[in-house]
Amino acid sequence: MSALLQRGTRPASPAAPAAGRRRTAARGTGRRKRESLAAYGFLAPWFLGLALITAGPLLASLYFSFTDYNLIGDHEVIGWANYERMLDDARLHSALRVTFVYVFVSVPLQLALALALAMVLDRGVRGLALYRSVYYLPSLLGGSVAIAILWRQVFGAEGLVNQVLALFGVQGPGWVSHPDHALSTLIVLNVWTFGAPMVIFLAGLRQVPAMYYEAAAVDGAGPVHRFVHITLPMLTPIIFFNLVLQIINAFQTFTQAFIVSGGTGGPSDSTLFYTLYLYQEGFGAFHMGYASAMAWLLLMIIGGFTAVNFLASKFWVFYGD
Amino acid sequence: MSPVKPRRPLALAATALALALASTACAGGGSDSEDGVVELRYSWWGADDRHSTLQQVIDIFEAQNPDIRIVGDYTDWGSYWDKLATSTAAGDAPDIMMQEERYLREYGDRGALADLSELEGLDLSKVDPLVAESGDLDGVTYGIASGVNAYAILADPAAFEAAGVELPDDTTWTWEDYIALSAEITEASGGDIVGTQSMAYNESGFQIFARQHGENLYAEDGSLGFSEETLTAWFEMTQELLDNGGQPEASQSVEIEAGGPDQSVISAGTGAMAHFWTNQLGGITESSGSEIELLRYPGESTGDRTGMYFKPAMFYSVSAGSDHPEEAARFVDFMLNGTDAAELILSDLGLPANVDVRGHILSSLPPADERSAVFLSEIEGDIVDGNPPPPIGAGQVVEITKRVTDAMAFGDLTPEEAAQQWISEVESATGTQ
Repeated sequence: MSALLQRGTRPASPAAPAAGRRRTAARGTGRRKRESLAAYGFLAPWFLGLALITAGPLLASLYFSFTDYNLIGDHEVIGWANYERMLDDARLHSALRVTFVYVFVSVPLQLALALALAMVLDRGVRGLALYRSVYYLPSLLGGSVAIAILWRQVFGAEGLVNQVLALFGVQGPGWVSHPDHALSTLIVLNVWTFGAPMVIFLAGLRQVPAMYYEAAAVDGAGPVHRFVHITLPMLTPIIFFNLVLQIINAFQTFTQAFIVSGGTGGPSDSTLFYTLYLYQEGFGAFHMGYASAMAWLLLMIIGGFTAVNFLASKFWVFYGD
Repeated sequence: MSPVKPRRPLALAATALALALASTACAGGGSDSEDGVVELRYSWWGADDRHSTLQQVIDIFEAQNPDIRIVGDYTDWGSYWDKLATSTAAGDAPDIMMQEERYLREYGDRGALADLSELEGLDLSKVDPLVAESGDLDGVTYGIASGVNAYAILADPAAFEAAGVELPDDTTWTWEDYIALSAEITEASGGDIVGTQSMAYNESGFQIFARQHGENLYAEDGSLGFSEETLTAWFEMTQELLDNGGQPEASQSVEIEAGGPDQSVISAGTGAMAHFWTNQLGGITESSGSEIELLRYPGESTGDRTGMYFKPAMFYSVSAGSDHPEEAARFVDFMLNGTDAAELILSDLGLPANVDVRGHILSSLPPADERSAVFLSEIEGDIVDGNPPPPIGAGQVVEITKRVTDAMAFGDLTPEEAAQQWISEVESATGTQ
């Protein structure tokens, strides 16, 4: 805004400074008004979307979480009953366990892999743009139905993985159809989509001033020292950003588990992710009230984790100056 | 005043344009188009061959009824119910839909389905008495059976031959025979051909077993109609088949089940027996390329009574919210009573419920469908009675059964524990605790 005013005052002639300033000021507010109107105009579709597609359903689900809404018929307000049911719903607890394991195993692995590859690419590989795109590709595809179907085939009992293992004389299990392996298969799928955090790490690595490394080299610091004492501290804001984002994403994982398990969360509930159970309750069992309550619990869990992340960040994230 | 005037024509034009756009948009989304043709949505589940057949049937109906346009809306069984629930909740249910026993009450009791007996132009008088009232709940006809079905064992004679084992006499065989035979086939073929696909994933088989014990899956009031011992005995047989190799091990079974009928052990040529509905014989025969036979359930002659039953294969239902119930009724009538539709559908939606239509197509059935028609007429005399309508929540039993069966197969539950867990979960799903 101040830039606008400054630009407006520049052509005023020094001969009549007062009058000139007054006139341009008036013209400035007129334009400002018009421009902010235009801005609101352009923002309107987004606000409309926010109200109708996000905020409306959000509030509706809060209301439904206190009812026995069944999707088809009428509903009654039943107070906290849905939330109370959560306390002794064994499948909910097992879904929480599966989801927590998934988040806590896959996110660190994914970030570590992303950082490692970003550092390799940062050394100035020939054809960097190509590699960057190739590694980024899984991130774009990872959440898609097609990849999940592919995954189911590749890790099937007769799938590609087992065919390769067979070459070495190893009889692989049915990776997605055995409760001991199904979740690991999905974790591998998530780790594989490391491209998005990798690109962000790559950008972060470019921001680290070369003089730090030069100074460290002069002092005789080896690669490990340089990584621990320069790269890591300088990257902490990026790590923090990726961590928050990937944790939120991982908690909401749905498509992969839905497709790979055929919507059941099986075998033996080993891939029953929280969102998958929510979906089953809402659309399979018509317990939309309970499903709404579950959605709010998930919101609180994710909110809690994000808050803890932000609080903890004070102790380990280093913002340069 | 005057400076505003010249702008008016422009504003008027803009308003007119907006209105025109809005009205065409309405026409596009609504069910009445300008030429007086009523558009109806008809939804069903199934595999590819059913989709193309039903589309042909729709084409014939539209040719005969130029004032009605039918839009087909189809998906596989698993997604069908999610989609139907969502669209019904949104007030956008299909005008005509295929329903199933376990879901009919869910929709009917909640006012989502029209009473078919009150619709004009729909003749229900020719429906086989065995299933005529199967879609009635508390005196209201929420659905009318498309056809008759029975749950049975599909056997591949080629697989028996390859293993060097004789086909059993299904009028006398016992459950012990079934288990021993399955193990024998697996063993004789060196594991190349498995005796039977797991039977525990579908509660319809247990329903036969319970009826053989003089019990039933559900009682008249919708509560569970069997004892824990019976269900334990049912799970024990699967445990035995897992132990003796008569059926694929747990994780293989999970993959086979996920593949549906097209990837059953019979279709894939990797097994000798599997449990399916008689109307699935045609499709499975085609994918297997072998002359698949139907066998009666084991224990029919040795139990307290026979357990096999006729089931309404599917129901035609009309949405209570349809804008054009009369036209919808005309289409259902065409599907139910018309020979044109039946000549294409044959027994894919069950052996036609209309007895005249059934007689009409019997001679023109392809071999597999003919075998299932003959099979149904053979067992008809032994069937004692029908089943009470399943309670609300019965749709969830499908998934509970899968889950409990998996848990037992992977060794997390004993058959006793599986029975207990199944009972407690189903009771809580159907609200009959």
